[in-house]
Amino acid sequence: MAKTGLKRLEELKPDIFRCIHCKACRFAYSGEPDKKGIGEYTGKQGTVLYEGMVDACPAGIEYGWEAFWNAGKMWIARSILDGDLEFSEEVRDVIMPCITCGQCSSQCENKIPTVDVIEALRAACVEAGVPMIEKHQLIQKLVKELNNPYGGKAEERFKWAKEAGLEKYIDNKKAKIGYFIGCTAAYRQIDIAIATSKIFEKLGIDFTFVGDEVCCGSPFFRVGAVDTAQELMNKNLKAFDGLDLVFFSCAGCYKTITNDYPKWMEDDKLPFKTMHAIELLSKLITEEKLKFKPNKELKGKVVTYHDPCHLGRHFALEMEQKMIEESKNLMMDKRKIDKIIEAWYEIPRVILKQLEQDTGIIFKEMYRTKLHSFCCGAGGGVRAGYPEFSLRTASQRCDEANAIEAEILTTECPFCFTNLSNSNDQYNHGLKVWGLIQMIDELDLLDIQENPKVEDLLKNKK
Amino acid sequence: MSYKLPDEKDLEAMIGIVGKKYASNNKAITASYLSKSVMGLEAQIPDIVVRPKYTEEIRKILIYCSAEKIAVSPVSAGLSGGFACPTIKPGGVMLDLSRMDRIIEIDTENRYAIVEPGVTNGGLWAYMHKNYPDWAPPIADGAPPAATVMGDAIDRGFSLYTSSVGPQGDNFMCAEVVFPNGDVVRTGSWALPTAKPFYKYGIGPDMWSFLMGSQGALGVFTKVVVKIYPHPKFKTVVAWGMSNPYDMQDLTLEIGKQEFGIAHNTVMVQGGNYPLVMARWPKDKVPHDYEFYKGIGVSPWWMNWECWAQTQEELDYVVKRINTMAQDFKKNRAKDGDAMTPWELHPKQIASRMKKPNKIAIPYSFYEAGFLFITWYTPWNECGRFAEVYTAAMEKYGFPPVMWIASIERCRQAICMPIVCFDSTKEEDFERVQALNQETTEYALKQGWLNYRPDPFIHIQAYYQSGMYWKYLRAFKKLVDPAGIMHPGRLALP
Repeated sequence: MAKTGLKRLEELKPDIFRCIHCKACRFAYSGEPDKKGIGEYTGKQGTVLYEGMVDACPAGIEYGWEAFWNAGKMWIARSILDGDLEFSEEVRDVIMPCITCGQCSSQCENKIPTVDVIEALRAACVEAGVPMIEKHQLIQKLVKELNNPYGGKAEERFKWAKEAGLEKYIDNKKAKIGYFIGCTAAYRQIDIAIATSKIFEKLGIDFTFVGDEVCCGSPFFRVGAVDTAQELMNKNLKAFDGLDLVFFSCAGCYKTITNDYPKWMEDDKLPFKTMHAIELLSKLITEEKLKFKPNKELKGKVVTYHDPCHLGRHFALEMEQKMIEESKNLMMDKRKIDKIIEAWYEIPRVILKQLEQDTGIIFKEMYRTKLHSFCCGAGGGVRAGYPEFSLRTASQRCDEANAIEAEILTTECPFCFTNLSNSNDQYNHGLKVWGLIQMIDELDLLDIQENPKVEDLLKNKK
Repeated sequence: MSYKLPDEKDLEAMIGIVGKKYASNNKAITASYLSKSVMGLEAQIPDIVVRPKYTEEIRKILIYCSAEKIAVSPVSAGLSGGFACPTIKPGGVMLDLSRMDRIIEIDTENRYAIVEPGVTNGGLWAYMHKNYPDWAPPIADGAPPAATVMGDAIDRGFSLYTSSVGPQGDNFMCAEVVFPNGDVVRTGSWALPTAKPFYKYGIGPDMWSFLMGSQGALGVFTKVVVKIYPHPKFKTVVAWGMSNPYDMQDLTLEIGKQEFGIAHNTVMVQGGNYPLVMARWPKDKVPHDYEFYKGIGVSPWWMNWECWAQTQEELDYVVKRINTMAQDFKKNRAKDGDAMTPWELHPKQIASRMKKPNKIAIPYSFYEAGFLFITWYTPWNECGRFAEVYTAAMEKYGFPPVMWIASIERCRQAICMPIVCFDSTKEEDFERVQALNQETTEYALKQGWLNYRPDPFIHIQAYYQSGMYWKYLRAFKKLVDPAGIMHPGRLALP
């Protein structure tokens, strides 16, 4: 893959020029006109008809102009490549408020990697000398000084671990398994970091926090500051060198390190395997090594699950692109690809269905789920750059949870959790927003049948 | 004719009409409305884009632009398959009508829906699916979900009922249109202020038909009244394969000519050739050899009859009649009867073909990086020859010979759509497409075949050859658009 924005944009030209401006990318379920829904629901952010295909591009919904929907951006990219349009602050202000959730890509019949295009467009815009918006400049300044975009002190990245009695895992040299905390969990959502660590501990996994861990670089890959992102990437690769497997609780860090690092590395292969913590729990349930304890607090509660875009759709689309590349006859391989994607989305649902069986929760899906899941509004630099739009988007997602009368909205990404929680509070949605693993740990639900073996964890894991 | 290039003062005027949020000359915003594929390769970035919400706003915009001699191009929200009629030279103001997206009324007794121009196929389908499940709008079959109901009408498009009831224009009864001279006119029975929009024809000669196919070159439609039809539960698809387009043509005509009964049950009758299957996949990831398609049961040519009926008994009868007629044709009249075979479709294939709206037309850009529909009308009994001639021309120019053909109004006409798959990243491919288009247009016009969506440059020849008709089109345009601001260049009108 090209290592600069403009070169990457040029590399993507055959993809960009496949856009016919059909605008199917604006919908969830663009190919399912007869999907039975739950009807019209009026929530805090207005009325939505949850039936058949539903508008699902947050930026398009917020701004309305064609330029903010995905297809408009594909034609902006094409205009840049054709020399009909030059980068400017005007262009920047149109291409930045996109959450890069990938909904558009999932709907595209021509399989345009729209998120790659938008990120390349942003990187090329920065390269062209257009200043980043002020809020992105600020987080860039912070990460350069402190290795995180929140302004937390670098030496306090693991303060929560010390306070939670988990100090022994900091730079635990014996361990071959790491846990990449991520900035949001380290500085804002420490309960998620604590819960995940305690789950590992209960499962008997010998793991380590890596003292030299820095921001994964996700926000900077997203907003076009790819030089900064690559600096952070190189620091992390050095810090995590020697580990066999690295766990994550943050969907964004997991996606960035698993999918983006290899593209930007000189050697395009990660030196360690990666796994999200929910993959671990799901695997153990499937292997009948894990169940859950009954719980009075949960029994009868309607629980729903928000698929983080970085964990769900971004991995699904990455798998799809790779399989398309490798396919010799796509007509024959398409169903196989669809099955693999469906299996990927089942991973968190294995946990939720087991919880339903063991604790008596009522697991109910929102209307837009899996590949069609509506974004929480936090990604793509939008939470930092456009906080009000970001929270309105999260509120639309909370509306969707309200529409099915959910009481608990779970997810598995600290960034989604933050945005959904903040929006839940600000717009009074009345939900209990909970990290899935956090809920499992805080209610002491683990009923371990057999501890996992390290060699089993590494088996079949890319 | 010369036009004024809109400036900041003109933008201020637009803002004065629609508000600051809904008028822009931001270069990224204006560039985002480009489209050079599917329906035409000509497009120019507009200078200003305006997003009106109300008829009165449109009236003021048109009066202003007429006075200032600024070109105006309306887009409803998508038209069928992308912005089919994007702004072309000389640019000017583009009206994005996507905010006008109200479903105003559904009347199941008189069987019509009143919608604004921004109502999409997907939106209306979902609304009726939830609220009026026994009824369905005649949305375009093959146009993607974001295409609009109205756009398909004024483009004289094709609907899921066209094989049974006629072209999309016939599914519309009345409209409200704003002319650039400032008049707001209602057509059909709606012209009478006390009348419902229940009848396409109204007071004297019919103006609606004059506006059909206008592609935004005469005025701006702000409301249309579209017929709705029953949406029965008993549906299926019957398909037959054959070796050549003539057997496809002749068998289909025999069934269509029944007119009553089964011909009315076959709402959608469409077919094509095996490259129609092939070219929906990337060029380097799909077999090109026919033997592969033969292996998966695809005939060189085929025809589908999508049948809708009110009862299972009625549906079974329709299917049986089609198959009986096909067997009789195969035995007695087919050019290559031995090659004719019923195509046993998998239930998933049937479900996929009956899905509306669908994304079936989109992936032809997956083959390379772009495609163009060059669509023609022919008398039905000439569509076989059209297919033979056109596919040969496509191969001569190095394009896969992708052909789709459908019946209009029980085989009175054929809509013949060669799908030219090309690589839009290459300038020479554009030239190749246009050379093919030019050569085939010259030939097709000599045969008396009509272009469906006239390219403003190549298909202009049709107007030159129809001089007297063109004279009256121009006169009508002059009447309603005296400054000639509406979509200049489209339809060879100033």
